[in-house]
Parts: sequence; structure tokens; C-alpha cells
Amino acid sequence: MNRTALLIASLVFAEVWALSSAALCNETPFVAAFDRFAPHNDIELAVGGRLLLSELSCTACHATKVARLQPKKGPRLEGAGQRLQGDWVRQFLHSPQKTKPGTTMPDVLAGLGEEEKQPAIAALAAFLASQHEPYPVVKANGLVPVPFEFWDVGDLEQGKQLYHQVGCVACHEPANDYETAEAAPTPIDTLLEQLDPEEIEEMGLGSAVRPVKSVPHGDLPAKYSLKSLTFFLLDPASIRPSGRMPGLRLGPMEAAHIAAYLLRDQQRVEEEKPKTVDQSLREEGKRLFSELGCASCHTAGGIEAGGGARPLAKLKIDDQQSCFAATTKGRPHYSLDEIQTKAILAAMAELPAGKTRDDHFQVKFWMMQLNCFGCHEREGLGGVGRNRKAYFETVRHVDLGDEGRIPPPLTGVGQKLTADSLKKVLNGSDQVRPHLLARMPRFSATSVWQLPEAFAKVDRAEAPPEQKVPPPPNGFVAAGQRLLDTGCVECHPMRGESLPGVVGIDLETVTSRVEFGWFHDFLLNPAELKSRTRMPTFFPNGVSQQPDILDGSTDQQIAAIWHYLREIKKHPLPEKIVKARSQDFELVPTEQPILLRTFMHEAGTHALAVGFAEKVHFAFDTENPRLAVAWRGRFLDAQGTWFVRSTPPAVPLGKELIELPKGPALAVLAEKKQAWPSFDAEQDYRFEGYRLDPEGVPTMLYRVGDYQVQDRTTPNNDGGLTRRLTIVAPEKKDATGKLWLRANVGKSLQQVNENSTINEKHLTVSVAGGVNSVGQLRTIEGSTESLFEVEVDNETTIEVQYQW
Amino acid sequence: MVARKTLIVVLLLWANVSLAASPAEEGKYYRLVTVATSQAKTDSRSKNWKPSPEGLALEVSGLAVLDDHRVAVAIRKGEVWILDGVYDDPPKNVTYQLFAKALHEPLGLLKDGDSLYTVQRTELTRLRDSNGDGTADEYLTVAKGWGVTGHYHEYAYGPKLDKNGDFWVTLNIGLGLKGDELKRTLKNPALGYRQARWRGWGIKITRDGKITPVCAGMRSPCGLAANAAGDMFYTDQQGNWVATNSLHHMRTGAFFHHAEALASMNLPGSPIQGIESVPDGLPLPEAIKRFPQLKPPAVWFPYKKMGQSATDILLDESEGRFGPFAGQLFIGEFTQASISRVFLEKVGGEYQGACFPFRSGFASAVLRMGQGTDGSLFVGLSNRGWSSLGTASYGLQRLVWTGETPFEIQEMKARSDGFELVFTQPVDAATAAEVSSYTMNSYTYSYHSTYGSDEILSKPLNIEKATVSADRKSVVLKVAGMRELYVHELRAAGVRSENGKPLLHPMAYYTLNRIP
Repeated sequence: MNRTALLIASLVFAEVWALSSAALCNETPFVAAFDRFAPHNDIELAVGGRLLLSELSCTACHATKVARLQPKKGPRLEGAGQRLQGDWVRQFLHSPQKTKPGTTMPDVLAGLGEEEKQPAIAALAAFLASQHEPYPVVKANGLVPVPFEFWDVGDLEQGKQLYHQVGCVACHEPANDYETAEAAPTPIDTLLEQLDPEEIEEMGLGSAVRPVKSVPHGDLPAKYSLKSLTFFLLDPASIRPSGRMPGLRLGPMEAAHIAAYLLRDQQRVEEEKPKTVDQSLREEGKRLFSELGCASCHTAGGIEAGGGARPLAKLKIDDQQSCFAATTKGRPHYSLDEIQTKAILAAMAELPAGKTRDDHFQVKFWMMQLNCFGCHEREGLGGVGRNRKAYFETVRHVDLGDEGRIPPPLTGVGQKLTADSLKKVLNGSDQVRPHLLARMPRFSATSVWQLPEAFAKVDRAEAPPEQKVPPPPNGFVAAGQRLLDTGCVECHPMRGESLPGVVGIDLETVTSRVEFGWFHDFLLNPAELKSRTRMPTFFPNGVSQQPDILDGSTDQQIAAIWHYLREIKKHPLPEKIVKARSQDFELVPTEQPILLRTFMHEAGTHALAVGFAEKVHFAFDTENPRLAVAWRGRFLDAQGTWFVRSTPPAVPLGKELIELPKGPALAVLAEKKQAWPSFDAEQDYRFEGYRLDPEGVPTMLYRVGDYQVQDRTTPNNDGGLTRRLTIVAPEKKDATGKLWLRANVGKSLQQVNENSTINEKHLTVSVAGGVNSVGQLRTIEGSTESLFEVEVDNETTIEVQYQW
Repeated sequence: MVARKTLIVVLLLWANVSLAASPAEEGKYYRLVTVATSQAKTDSRSKNWKPSPEGLALEVSGLAVLDDHRVAVAIRKGEVWILDGVYDDPPKNVTYQLFAKALHEPLGLLKDGDSLYTVQRTELTRLRDSNGDGTADEYLTVAKGWGVTGHYHEYAYGPKLDKNGDFWVTLNIGLGLKGDELKRTLKNPALGYRQARWRGWGIKITRDGKITPVCAGMRSPCGLAANAAGDMFYTDQQGNWVATNSLHHMRTGAFFHHAEALASMNLPGSPIQGIESVPDGLPLPEAIKRFPQLKPPAVWFPYKKMGQSATDILLDESEGRFGPFAGQLFIGEFTQASISRVFLEKVGGEYQGACFPFRSGFASAVLRMGQGTDGSLFVGLSNRGWSSLGTASYGLQRLVWTGETPFEIQEMKARSDGFELVFTQPVDAATAAEVSSYTMNSYTYSYHSTYGSDEILSKPLNIEKATVSADRKSVVLKVAGMRELYVHELRAAGVRSENGKPLLHPMAYYTLNRIP
């Protein structure tokens, strides 16, 4: 570096320093749960101390066998060279607390004089600058858009939205100018507004009301590039395995948007590329990294953690040379405030006594370490801070109360959720609350693997004995369906379907997520298990309000609901939902006919279904022009055809469905004995489309050989169909054959009268006009056909009636 | 030695400059006007997908400009609507009139004479309003006859007209057919491939409905159009047999990539015969050597860098009213909700050329495009079934040139010893003549039955000289180590315009099938 550069660098250095100092209010490490609970005696001081022993990573050097006191440790530094800006690294090493207020990293150079510090910093920074690892390749596919160099094209407005909505502000500071939609205050909020602080503390409500401080970001623009911050947000655990910063399941562009927002004040910085640095300086840095014990908390350059310091159990409480009491050369220094110091001392005082803490404590301790309490309340502790609640919003601002916007309380969760379901919630694969804008973060398995079982163990120990799932009562499907229809459907979707405007937890998966006992008790008395829930009880005082279902037995009814939900995939949905769904997608012809081109089992992949207000409908096969199927009652549901990606075939909704004779209705036969041709034969059956008349009725247009056919079918007065076939003869008729109509086909076809036959499916087909002679029956290979010779000079019309 | 070191430093610095243009920057030159967009009730992939409860499910799947105030759009649920007032800015008084309904997922719309033409899943249909009441009363089948097994992936696209006035239609391949679907397939016993009739083919249809199969090997040919010369092109989408998205010239007998299309090879009318085996797992140049019917695309769109799912093709016929790219092709992009740009040239009788990023930031997946009478682009959006960037699930937007010319690489032409770059504005001679203003890399793909391909056999190229033309509108790069059938990726991050501006998009990707 030449002199000018040095001068500029030091100026910048001084400037930033001044700025960050001004912004500082304290210079002690910030541990969210400690800060929130310990000073107010929400937790015992010694418990807070234990939290610090782990969160400040004291135990990274002062080893302990106590499992829960294992150190948080710091970020991986393998990629520090490209992830972090060199100037920031140097400043941070010089004064960690000033550079990143609240950092849990101690000042490892505290014992050095300024003239010793500078070369050490230069060496450590050189070593860290040499730490490069490639960024992971972000996989793209049809569901994951990954634009070219996506980290550079984030949009700060979208980033601002996401930052304030998805959950970042549960721990970090919201912006002053971010506007939240007005959330109606809950009655308790209103009450609290009116009380003064002492009254609140006296009522034991302090923790619910106190503002919760933010985990400071530090000077992000000085630290990161857009790229390194984007990649960090995409997968925090890859950099910070401790899981204290969980991933919010961001897509690549979402991460880029948030990075753009967080670095909005940054002048474009270039990412540091591997530089040829002084080899000896780097080696010196590497040596210091090892010697100063950095490797106890950080991985970099394959350096193994050193032997560490005196084990935790052997430390003296009154040691005047401790890491927080004194600044000693070669030792890290923590600047702790009074309460932090007291807490650590209290915790250490407990150690020799071997004071054991129970599982109950263990769960709470884990939740403090991971700051689950930032979002979740459990047994009166924690939950979204009152000053942060406004940022927790419901999708589209539907009013669902706090349940619809605040992450759920976890009191008794081990009794409620199955361990498997809890696991899925923690690893981010089960998202059951689509109405919350805040996202349940994804925690790395290493940070939370013990939690699900611990919750279960603790919560079930205090609960009444497990309730066995009762057998399904007789008629449980119909009963469950009806029971859910009274009340449940007003707030819960099922199988992704719901009444209009309903958002909430889909009940499709509830039986695989929650324990039966909890489900049972919750239905009986929701508010007892979940205070302030909006879920009403449908069994006041344990009594069913539906005495006509399953003899009014509460237990039987709850069992029926459970078993119905368990199998809801294969049963019809509750009536009201079915009805709501059909309003969106069921085609109900009123005046004019409704047409739908679709796939149908009965009419093939070229089906054209036509529905009439008279509630008689048919489908025409336009591939091989024929009337394929007819039915009465309801027509069709169009959702599959209109909007479902897998394009399921449309299913007639009505009843009395009749499949009409396969094969063509008209054919030219060379001689009377010739077998009736199929569509595969050489004769040309060419569909040419259709015309709609002023009534909206389609007339199908097709050719049979050289004959042009217009085929119009409508309901008749007897609940059947009338088909008018208008046939236009070619100018030059084929001399080799005559045109025939095959009206009906059956294994046992019977003549009703001279123009009418009935087959074994009770299909009666009658023919009038346009035909030469009465119908003739003939039987070929076990199949009897009713044939009419068609007389066409120029044009003729045949009327065919179908009754079934 | 010292000079060399400086060079490396400079290189590193330039390599670090942001190469992606943000939608906001692009918006200075091409402005987006939203006609109508909407958020669905459910996410794009949901099995219970539902449109927004309000308004029309404007999932634009076909787009035909009618005149200077109206466009007709086909929507995926099977309707055609005529929208009036769409050029208004802002478009506050757009009216919607239903023209046709009960169509089976129409994926194209063409105005010709007094009719609108669309391709449904099963047929090419002519829609006509014979009594002048504003709605179609004739739904005439111009042609059908391609196989439809009922599998969702068997989309059919078009029609588009060629210079002779014939209709062109492209047909998706089916995926993982089973059950009843198989009954509607045919099998090439020698190759073992099974698909419905003409699946994976491009076909031509005369006015009287005669079908001529032209070329085969398509996977998901979601866009087709004629270029300025009237030759027909289609886009394909990455997947099995298809290394990455691509643009192909459709010509008789050409085979592109998806081998299962050969199930129809032996049908009467097929212009492709005699393929006895298909190589699976070779680098593309090697595969072409062994399989002469296999034709490389005119342009590869490197995955992620140039999008993830190519859709429509639009020829800029505005003669300059849409900016400096008259006669070039614009390519829609689904997943990244953007539009790319393509320059084509003929080398050795075949088309090849380069693609460039053009405009990102649409509200949803770009599925269809149509050029308005004023040169602006109408852009139809729908991301159902997959996913995309953007804030909406579907809708219609319009892209308007602001009149300000972006500094872009307008053309990239191959030369025997390098490339010629033509810029939209005069360059700064100093930066443009500096070889370190440019870097180049080259790679090809694997031809194989697995899904997509990495960039393989990658090699950086040495730019030996950069010569600026007298008018400073073009630069000739002398490049060592060019390889046929490789994509040549250019970063021109160091070039500045005469006003000192960097390129809006410094990236270009030239598919060098042949060195001139």
C-alpha cells in the first residue's frame, strides 16, 4: 500500500469509528433472552448466567461436561476472505463492541497496547483475507427462479416489505418509516395501556408489556457485499452453525431483496478477490489465530482448536484476572455489565454444588438459547414483544385476531403435537399456518434435534395419561361430515377447499399432527388449552349441541370427527364446502346451454360436453364424431379442465348416465350385409367444428364420406334427447354404396315398434323422417343393430329420439 | 512483467462490476404499463389453484393485436376476450368483451381476415362471428389429427403464419404416459419410443386443413414465429434430452433433440427416416458427428443466465418505433418473468446467432407477446403450474420504449477469427479498444436423455485484439481458440459509450455452430 492509500484508509477508518461510537449506547454483549428476562427476574440470575456461559462461548475455552452449557461458538470463517470486507475485519478485530455493538465476540487483543495491536490485526486480517471458498451453486428449476447474478438485482422496496413481514423483526430492529396495517388492539392491550409500569410489574405482567430490545445488526454495509449477505440470508446455518440466526426459508430473489434493503446505503462495494498478500504476514496471522484461541470458536484454514484454558469447573469465582475482570495479554476480554457479571458468578457458584436442573428447565434453556421466545410464549415467558406485535400480520389482513398473526404459544406443545410433526415444524418442512405472514424459520438439525422429544417428555409428564384413540363409531363418515359442517367450516379449510374468504389451518393434516388426547380436550374446551383463542366450544359443559348425531354422545362425536378427518382424502367434504366449491366451478346451465371441451372417460380426449337448463346433457366425441354419452341432473365441474395442471378428466355430476352406441351413426355400406364400419376404417369421418345458433345450441358439422352432416341435439319433453341429423348429399353420389343410419345397438335389441328399438341398457331409440323404410334388425357376431337406409337426394333431415 | 500484473488487476476489477441490470435501470428505456394483473387465491403450484375472486382469470395464453385500441387475448381456461382501450396510458377504462368460450386450453391466437385462429389441445380452430353480434358463433375445425392421450404435458401451440400463408403448430411431448394414455400412443419398435401421433413435432397446415409434418425432436415448443425473412422458428424448454432452452429453425427433415418424437418417424408423411439409434450421453459436437439428422439450435439460452423456461417469439416489425432492435426477435421467459433478445445471421446456409438479456421485472411469467400498432409490446402473463418472479399470478402488461436508446450490444456477428460487435451508440474508443474490457468463455452441452445439462468442456478464450470502427459503432474482436458447436459467452464489462456509460447488459451468448 502506498502512502496516499494508507492515509485514505486511516481517514475512512477514523470516520466510521466515530460514527459507530456515536451510535453506541452500551458496549456489552447482547444475548436476547438474557437481556429480556434476567434483569427483571423473569428467570433466576444463575440461569441467566448459565445462558451467558454458553452464549458468550465461555465454555469454548473453559470446557465443561454439562451438556447444556456447550458453547454457541462463532461463525465459520472459511469464506471470510470473500464474505467480509477487509476494513471491517480490521476494525472489528480492533474493537469488537464498537464495530458491532452487542457482539458476543470478546476482544481477543484487549491486553495489547496499540503499537502491538496494529501488526496483530494486520496479520489476522491478512490470514482471514486468504480464506476463500466458493459460494454454493443455487439450483434453479421451474419452481425456483434464479436470475443471473441475482444478488445484484434485489429490489429494496420488496426487501423492506419482506424484512418487516417474514419475521426478521422478531429479533432485529424495524425501520421507523415502515407502516404496518393498523392492528386492532386486543382487550388486554387496551387494559395495559391504562396501567402504570409499577402496577404492571405488581400484576406480574412485566414481561408481556416490556419493550423487547433488538439484536443489533451492526454496520452491515461496511461488513458485507450484496452477494455475501444474500448467500448468508439464504442459508445462515452454513455460516453460523449455532442456529441462533435461523433461515427464514427465503427464495434466492427474496434473499437478494432483503440484502438490497439492508445494504441500501452502501456504495457499491467490490467483493474482495484473492490477493497476493505477504506470505509471512498471512502465516503470522494464522499463528495468531491459533495462539489467541480464535479456533476455539471459529473454523478457518483447517486450524484445530487449541488446548483451551482451565476447565469451567476449576475456575475461581473471585479470580481478579478473569476474562471479564481484567485485560490480560493473550486472553480474550469480555466487557460485561454489572448484571451480566453477577449472573455469571451466580451460575459458577452453583457449579461445584452440582445443582441439577430438570428437563423442564432444559427445554426453557434451549428456547432461550435459540430465542424461540422472540416469537413464542411458553408458560408465561416470552412471546412477540409488545413493541413488535404490529409487524406480525395476517395474509390479506383478514381479521383472525392474534391467532391469525402471532406465532402460536408453546405451552403444552409437547402434549399437543406428535414428535414427528414437531420435527417437521422445526426443519421447515411443515407449514400449517399459511395465514401468518411471519414464517416459522428453518433450524438446522444440529441445533434443535433434541427439542421435539424434550417437549414431549416435559409436557407429557405433567399431563393426564395419554388418551387412546377410540374406534371409529358406526356411520362416522356421515357424522363427521355433518359435525364439521356446523361451525368448523366457517374458519377452517379442508383439503385446500374452503368457504369463501376463509383462511386458517387446513384440517386435512390435523390428525397426523396432533395427539388425540389434545384434540379431544381442545374440542371440549378450547380456551382451557389456549387462552384467548377464537375457537369456540361446540360442547358447552361437555354436552353436544347435536343430539341427533350418534345419540348426542360427545365422545362418539369427537371420535367421528377424528376418524373422518383422518380419512378425509377419500371421503366427500362437508356439504357447505362442496357447495361453495361448486359455486366457483360447477357449470349450471340456466338459459342457454353451456359447453365445455375437455377430457372425459366416456367421450375421450376430444370431448365436447353440452349441458342444458332442462338438466339433460350429453358429450360429443369430436375425434370420431359421435354422440358418446348422455346424463340427467347436474352437469359438470370445470375446475379440472380450467385450472388443474394435471388435467383430470371431467366427470358427469348427474345421474342416469347412458353410454350411447360406439362407432359411427352413419355409414356408407357397399352392400347390406357389410359389417358396420368403425372409425378406423377407410371411410372418412371428418369433424369440421360446430355452429352456435341464437339459442346457443351447437350444431356439429362433420363429413361421412362425401356427405355433409349437421348434427343438432337438444333435450326433449320426456327427459331424453332429440337429435336432428341434416344430411347433404354430394353432387356426385358414390355409386358403390348407400347411406345407412345405425340407430341402436345391443346384445339383445328389441323392436318396440317399427321405428323404435330398446337395448339391454334400456336405451330406446326412435327414428322419424328422412329414412327409407322401417328399421331393420340384423345380428352380426352377437351384436344386434337397428339400421335404416337413408334417402338423400339433395338434403334430408332425420329425427332421432333417445330415451333411457 | 509489470504490465502483465497491472492487466490482471484491471481484469479482476472489471470482472467485479455488476453484470446484471436491475428492472429499474431497464425501465429508463423500456417502461412497463400494467393493463391488468392479479394475484391468485392460491400459489402457482397448488393443486387447488383458484384465480382471484374478483374479475377475469386473465391468464393470457394467446394474444392478437386487432388495431390501435384493441387486442384479443385467449386465456388458459378456454376463452377469448376482446379488450378495448388497452393503449390508454394509464389504461383506466379498459373494457372486456367475451368473444369465444369452451375452448380446450388454447395456447395461441392469430387474427387473419375476418377470423381469429387458435390451437386447442386437440385441433386448430377458426373462430368467426358470422352475424356481427360481437361473439363467435362458428367454431370451425381447420385441422386435427395429432395424438392426444389426455396427459397434461401434451400442450399444443400456435398457430403462426409463414410467408406462404400456411399455419404452423408445435406439439409438446407427453411425459411418463401410463394407463389409458398408452392406448392412444404409437411405438417405434426399433427405437422403443412411445408417444402419441406427431408428439414432439412441428407441423404445417394448409388453409384446407392438410397437415404436413415438418420437423421433430421438440420437448416443449411453447413459442413459434417467423423471422424477418419469413423462416419459421420455435423455442424449446430445458428437460429430458434438452440441455437448456433453445431457439430452432424449423425446416423439413430437421431433428432437434427430444428422441421420443421419433415414435412417429415411420408414419406416412414423415420427412425423417432411417434413424436406427440415438446416442445418449455424448457432448453435443460428438453426438452430431454420429447422428447427422441431429441439428443444433440456432441459439442456446444458457440456463439461469438467460432464463429458465423460454416461451413466445416476437419479431420486432416496428421499424424503429420500439427502439433500435427492428428485425430482431424477442423471446419470452416464464420463470424469470422477463424478455430476452436474439440476433440471428446465416453462416454456411444455416441460422446461428446471439442472445442478450433485454427486460426483466414483469409482474408474472411472460407467456405471450404481441406488437401493438404503435410498436409497443403487449405481454401476456400466467405462471400457474410452475412458478415465476413477480408479484402477480396472471395479467396483461405493455412494454413501451421511452424513446431513449439504451447502450447495448445490438448485434454480435461471427467472423473467421473472432466476432464483430455492433453497438446501439458510439463507443468510447479507448475502453472499446482495450482487450481487457472483454472476457470470453466457451462451453457446450451433453446430449443425453437426462434432465438438462451442465455447461461442459468449458474453456476461456483469449481476446487478442479489439479494433474500433471509424464510426465507433462497432468493434472487431480477434479471438483465439473458437470452437464450433460451442456457446461463446462474452462479457464486455469494460466498454463505455462515448458518454461514459457502461453497457446496460454487458453479456452476450453466441451459439457458434459454424465458424464463417
